[in-house]
Amino acid sequence: MIPLTHFLIVGACLFAIGLYTVMARRNAILVLVGIELMINAAILNLVAFSRYDKTAYGGQAFALFAIVLAAAAVAVALAIILNAYKFYKSVNPEDIRNLKD
Amino acid sequence: MPTTALTYPLLAALSAVLLPFAGFLLSAALGKRAGNGAVATSAILLSLLAACYAFAQIWNQPPIHIQWHWFTIGEQAFHVGVLLDNMAVMMLVLVSLIALPVHIYSAAYMKGDPGIHRYWTYLSLFCFAMLGLVVADNLLLMYICWELVGFASYLLIGFWFTKDAAVQANKKAFIVNRIGDIGFLIGMALTYSHLGTLDTTALIEAPEILPAPWLTVAGLAFFLGAMAKSAQFPLHVWLPDAMEGPTSVSSLIHAATMVAAGVFLLARIFPVFDATVLLVIATIGTVTAFAAAYFALTQYDIKKILAFSTISQLGFMMVGIGIGMYPVALFHLATHAFFKCLLFLCAGAIIHEMQHAKETHDLDMDPQDIRNMGGLRKHMPLTFTAILIASLALAGFPFTGGYLSKDALIVHTFEWAALQSGAAKLIPYVLVAVSMLTSFYILRLLAKVFFGSLSIRSVKKDIRIHEAPMRMLGPMLFLAGCSLFPLFSVNPLNDSYVWLMQGLTSPVSTLPPLRLLHLAIPVLTTGVTCIVAGVAWQWYVNGKYPLKGGGLFYRLSEHQGYLDALYDAAVVRPVVRLSQLLLWVDHYIIDGMVNGLSALGRSFAAVAAWLDQRLVDGFVRLIGKIAWGLGNVFRRLQNGRLQHYFATLFFIILVILLYHIVVLL
Repeated sequence: MIPLTHFLIVGACLFAIGLYTVMARRNAILVLVGIELMINAAILNLVAFSRYDKTAYGGQAFALFAIVLAAAAVAVALAIILNAYKFYKSVNPEDIRNLKD
Repeated sequence: MPTTALTYPLLAALSAVLLPFAGFLLSAALGKRAGNGAVATSAILLSLLAACYAFAQIWNQPPIHIQWHWFTIGEQAFHVGVLLDNMAVMMLVLVSLIALPVHIYSAAYMKGDPGIHRYWTYLSLFCFAMLGLVVADNLLLMYICWELVGFASYLLIGFWFTKDAAVQANKKAFIVNRIGDIGFLIGMALTYSHLGTLDTTALIEAPEILPAPWLTVAGLAFFLGAMAKSAQFPLHVWLPDAMEGPTSVSSLIHAATMVAAGVFLLARIFPVFDATVLLVIATIGTVTAFAAAYFALTQYDIKKILAFSTISQLGFMMVGIGIGMYPVALFHLATHAFFKCLLFLCAGAIIHEMQHAKETHDLDMDPQDIRNMGGLRKHMPLTFTAILIASLALAGFPFTGGYLSKDALIVHTFEWAALQSGAAKLIPYVLVAVSMLTSFYILRLLAKVFFGSLSIRSVKKDIRIHEAPMRMLGPMLFLAGCSLFPLFSVNPLNDSYVWLMQGLTSPVSTLPPLRLLHLAIPVLTTGVTCIVAGVAWQWYVNGKYPLKGGGLFYRLSEHQGYLDALYDAAVVRPVVRLSQLLLWVDHYIIDGMVNGLSALGRSFAAVAAWLDQRLVDGFVRLIGKIAWGLGNVFRRLQNGRLQHYFATLFFIILVILLYHIVVLL
């Protein structure tokens, strides 16, 4: 059986990669990808900790919720990025600096 | 008892008083447009008519006394009122009758003066004040008018205020009059504190309410007031200097308005004076009459001679008051008013012509100095006639008003002296001597001015002196007529026929008559006058007794007894020195204290300013700088970059986590 620590290490690595991606990439879609990575790291932790809840599998249920929420969030975010691209002609978050028209 | 019912004579008297005041206001309001004097002259003309009507209605009738409530202090009500008795209406007519010819004369005399509109304004004020004085029924109102008379004369004496001498003269007149005003004020205060009222009627009906020493003090105080106003020795010094005013003003001051006020006051409140005060009055009057006549002997300024003659005649009037015969004093005041006014108007005409000659021929001379004149009889015959009549009246020649009043005065003084003991018996003899001196100095003036030859011709041959213009001659001839006897008495030689004295005589003022004197004295004085006139003629016209000037008595007379020098040394210079000392004290001690305080205040303020700038403001600025710095720091966070926000967020969460870890461990 794989010990819990490994899951946590993999989750931390995923989260760190996601964080780096979010902060360092110059492409909004890749920033979104980074967010997905961080969400997945969290989900991995939920799933990993759910071994301590063998009766209700609350962790796994929450993981499913989180996946659905992430999918919805990505759909919304992509729509925002698409609109932002239409407006700014760029997907670089550095260029998207003001909210007004 | 005072009434409040208005009657026609009363209204006439009130309008006689108030018309010149209206003239004053109107002239003042019109300013330069009133320059021809029509307003002032018509005001005084109407005033004269009203006064004549009031006179005709009131003379020898019961006096009219009207009072209105004026103001109340505490329990004590003060009234403003008018008392019209024989004395008041006589003065009312006299003042306006003298003022009218002076107004007409002034229109010609002052013609072309740049400040003539001021002249008319002051003249109206002057007449109003004097007319108000004579009808006032209480001392307070009288005092107000008294002060107004003084103030108006101050303005008129200093009319040519660009001349330093005129400014000095009006200052002197004002200051000397202040001394007298203090006397009047003290008298008023004593009257009020003992009688509880200032009504003259109350005062003269019951003067004995004042306890014995205070009655004498009050009498002396009132006399001090009259001494300054009526130029009695030794407070007469302002009057000769007052000659700096226009000559027409001098004639008014000397005849009816200013100097008459003192004599009138004494006559008005006559019952107040007890025997001591009366003796003082008689003595001062005698000294004044003698000293002034003596000073007049050697003067060279024509107006100064006349000024001293006025002082001398006022001395006569004071003697009249002092011997208890105030009707005689007022009668002499009336006759003197006409001939003295005339003398001044003639002098004015002469000065006018001399000034004219001086300007046309560009001479360097004093137009008032009688040494520059001479022989004017041929050039100004009408003026000569007028001044001759006036001079004879002054000298007390028969057929003139002056003869009647002056001889009446001297006769009554003899009668009075018969009842006295000691040195008072000398008074009538001194008066006879004074009337000799009077004849001498006035004939000296006539001789020097009108006889001989014109002195300034020796400088320039073609100088021509003309007769005065008709508008000046008219008033002069009118006054000349008034100076003769018919105005006063049907009998030119006997003063018991004088209607004016008969109207004024009251039971308190009679003396046991000495019949013989009524014949002897006029004969004596007239004879003496003739002799003195002869001496003066020999002396000045024929040059028989060449004047040996420079003797002690000559110098004493010429320098007016060195009184001015004495006052200068005894009063003026100590006062000036005291004021310099006080100035020093004020400058260095009082101001020094104030300046020290202000310096202290300034240094406190400097410390406070430093504290304020450095500490209080510094604190405020520090807070501002902190806010600014914080803002500057946090401004960088709000840069709009999404990823920076992420990084910041992450960093903050990291810090919170680290904090928890550290705290939990």
